[in-house]
Amino acid sequence: MKAKQVAKDEQKLVLALIGNPNSGKTTIFNNLTGARQHVGNWPGVTVEKKEGELLWEGRTIQVVDLPGIYGFGVHSEDAAIARDYILLEKPDVVINIVDATNLVRNLYLTLQLLEMGANVVIALNMYDELRAKGADVDTARLSELLSTPVIPTVATRGQGMKEIISQALEAAKAKGRSPLRIDYGREIEAEISDIERYLSSCPKLAEKFVPRWLAIRILEGDEDLLRVIGGFCDLDEIKTRREAALNRLESIFGEEIESLIANRRYGFIESVAKEVIRRYQATEDQASISDKIDRIVTNRYLGIPIFLLTMWMVFQFTFKLGDPLTGLIEGLFERLGELMGAWLEGLGAPKLLSSLLVDGVINGVGSVLVFVPNIFLLFLAISILEDSGYMARAAYIMDRFMHAFGLHGKSFIPLLLGFGCNVPAIMATRTLESKRDRLITILIIPLMSCSARLPIYVLFASAFFSSHQGLVTFSLYLLGIILAILMGVIFKSFLFKGESSHFLMELPPYRMPTLKSTFIHMWERGSHFIRKAGTIIFMVTVLIWVLANLPIGVEYASQESALGRIGSFIAPIFKPAGFSSWEAAVALLFGILAKEVVVSTLGVVYGVEESGLREAISQNWTPLSAYAFMVMSLIYIPCIATIAVIKGETNSWVWAALAVSYSLILGWLVAVIVYQGGLMLGLG
Amino acid sequence: MTDAAALSSAMEDYLEAILNIAERSGIVRVTDIASRLGITKASVAQAIANLKELGLVKQERYGPIELTQRGREIASKVQQRHLMLKRFLIEVLGVDPKIAERDACLIEHAVSPQTMEKLMSFLESLQKTPGATEEGKEQGTAMPIKAKPLSDLGIGEKGRVTRITAKGSIGRRILEMGVTPGSELSIVGIAPLGDPIEVMIKGYRLSLRKEEASYIMVEVL
Repeated sequence: MKAKQVAKDEQKLVLALIGNPNSGKTTIFNNLTGARQHVGNWPGVTVEKKEGELLWEGRTIQVVDLPGIYGFGVHSEDAAIARDYILLEKPDVVINIVDATNLVRNLYLTLQLLEMGANVVIALNMYDELRAKGADVDTARLSELLSTPVIPTVATRGQGMKEIISQALEAAKAKGRSPLRIDYGREIEAEISDIERYLSSCPKLAEKFVPRWLAIRILEGDEDLLRVIGGFCDLDEIKTRREAALNRLESIFGEEIESLIANRRYGFIESVAKEVIRRYQATEDQASISDKIDRIVTNRYLGIPIFLLTMWMVFQFTFKLGDPLTGLIEGLFERLGELMGAWLEGLGAPKLLSSLLVDGVINGVGSVLVFVPNIFLLFLAISILEDSGYMARAAYIMDRFMHAFGLHGKSFIPLLLGFGCNVPAIMATRTLESKRDRLITILIIPLMSCSARLPIYVLFASAFFSSHQGLVTFSLYLLGIILAILMGVIFKSFLFKGESSHFLMELPPYRMPTLKSTFIHMWERGSHFIRKAGTIIFMVTVLIWVLANLPIGVEYASQESALGRIGSFIAPIFKPAGFSSWEAAVALLFGILAKEVVVSTLGVVYGVEESGLREAISQNWTPLSAYAFMVMSLIYIPCIATIAVIKGETNSWVWAALAVSYSLILGWLVAVIVYQGGLMLGLG
Repeated sequence: MTDAAALSSAMEDYLEAILNIAERSGIVRVTDIASRLGITKASVAQAIANLKELGLVKQERYGPIELTQRGREIASKVQQRHLMLKRFLIEVLGVDPKIAERDACLIEHAVSPQTMEKLMSFLESLQKTPGATEEGKEQGTAMPIKAKPLSDLGIGEKGRVTRITAKGSIGRRILEMGVTPGSELSIVGIAPLGDPIEVMIKGYRLSLRKEEASYIMVEVL
């Protein structure tokens, strides 16, 4: 907030971008700002905030990307952010990106912006697609009817960007545009003026807002807006007037006021559209290609196989192609550690310092970077899926299935990716628009058994269930899925009780993704991870190292170390689950770093090499306690990278803390049930 | 209509009352239904239990009462029938609106299902006759002919939206997406698993669950 204030004082121009989802807003933002962008969060919410800078004739112009919305009608975080930003921060110019091929629905938002009195410049995007359909828009006439500049653009090819900027600069000079007035008909107008009159009488309100627009929004039932104007007016008076108005209107029309207002707006838009859209050719090539693809892709019989094949390809691309790169990074850091260790030894540095640098710092940096290949590849794949329009189809195809568990069609892809690695999977939940759907999905992703948990299963299954290894491993994956479904239902009915989730989504035409936006998207996500999650992962890695080496002189991770003592202290908690040794507890503590570390830690605490590990384990565990331990490893606390990414994505420690605490309790409970149940069945 | 006919008229009244209350205030409680129908809370509770068993309403312990998709479809039909009778009384016979409201209820209950069905098809044919509803048209409230929930339409069918029965954020979202009364739409496809559906409206493709579609009343074209 402060920074913005300063920026305004320096007369730095602020342009805000707004538009419907799929209107090409992100592409325009990328075109305007290039690499000079910064991704963060809007204060206090999970919604992402993108800002960037534009250099134009020696001036620096700030560009803010507002969330993609269809209008201000529905109360959502996205709409509230966009509304409050335009209303309270008052950007100099609002660039409204309008999909020219879908003019009517896109202008619905435009109309509301104009009613608000925003200083709007319209970018009529995807103009080439409209032309290909054999139509065009009389932009001069459109501009006249809306009294707003209109520029045709083709964002994917960078066309019209210069015009947009110079037009925006022009518009910025002519401040104080008079808001658009739509005639809502005699009866509604009477009620609007009644509330408007009252609002205008409130001191200072008319200086900041457009009273007529506020009056319309109040009649439409925008409860949230009342809070914004609470400082100016008597809210009870407004509510009384609104109630009276709604009663009068309903007795006249017998219909909801929202419906009447929306109808009038669309009526206005349709008359505008009729006047400005010129069709000179009856061909609809573009649409028919998209139709043809859809006929196959969402086909009753082919739809699901194609979807599964696509998912398999994304999975292979992300993990099969990424894992060798991950291995390369691991190897690199191992080698770097060795070199560093040898170099320090040559210098005669103390062993502790050398260990701090090698096992703590280098290892810490390494554990952040190992995620990078998977994240980059995944987001490459995801942005291709999104930009091409397939993502919307995937949600359409899977929604019936996911809805049965109270989730959204778009939850499927993140959950599936969770089997590879929970970290990119949680980052992939960005495609979910509703906060409720997104948070539930984030919270249950850690129950998807990621590939890092496999080494634990392999170790224990081969030591105790050598003839049924596959079955045992499979049972754990299945257990994870069942628990995820269960927890999803629980979260839905307790945490988000009464919050409705709906599925009303545009299926945009298929489009060719552009290299530029795909790479910007990929880069943005990857660097976001390093910045947001990187520090947390790094710090915890160093912290665990410190705990394993304190007090000074103690053997690494031994029972006498601080970590060993913590392990011994908490070990009795796991008695009912059948594994109360301090070794198991320390292994679980280390597992917080990354789940596969459980295996190497067991090697350290039992003082054996990897080859002797199976032997050591079969002496200290029973098959039943081993299974309970695997169950615990599956469920308990997500690894630190997952925790960090939950914090980063939700912008709150609360959700991260919830993920940690519920999984810890659930893990313990299920492990105990397994062990005690097994004992009762005589499996001990 | 078969499902609706199989239900007792009392049960239909309950469904219609739930729908009306839901449309008006969003949340339906036993108290609301009791006061609307003028009966005791105990009998409402019993009726709700029956409807729950039939899979027409859902209610979590002490929570608000909600119609299931099936329940909403039946309720919409009952409501539609009631509306049609009422309008016939008002617009064709010129009965006073208050009396028409009461009489519509009485007629619904007094006559046999067969008479009701015949009466309905007669009224429908009456509306197709030009001039019959002139009065209604002048008031801008031409009777919805054969309006039914969008979720009942099949692939390839076209319709014109007559009403959005959802209130609150779902209703607003539906309107915002351009599904406004009077707009024409067609069903383009149904997802492989039977839900959601894909609709062409205002020149673009909108996908929505059947649950949301059941809030959209359309007149089949």
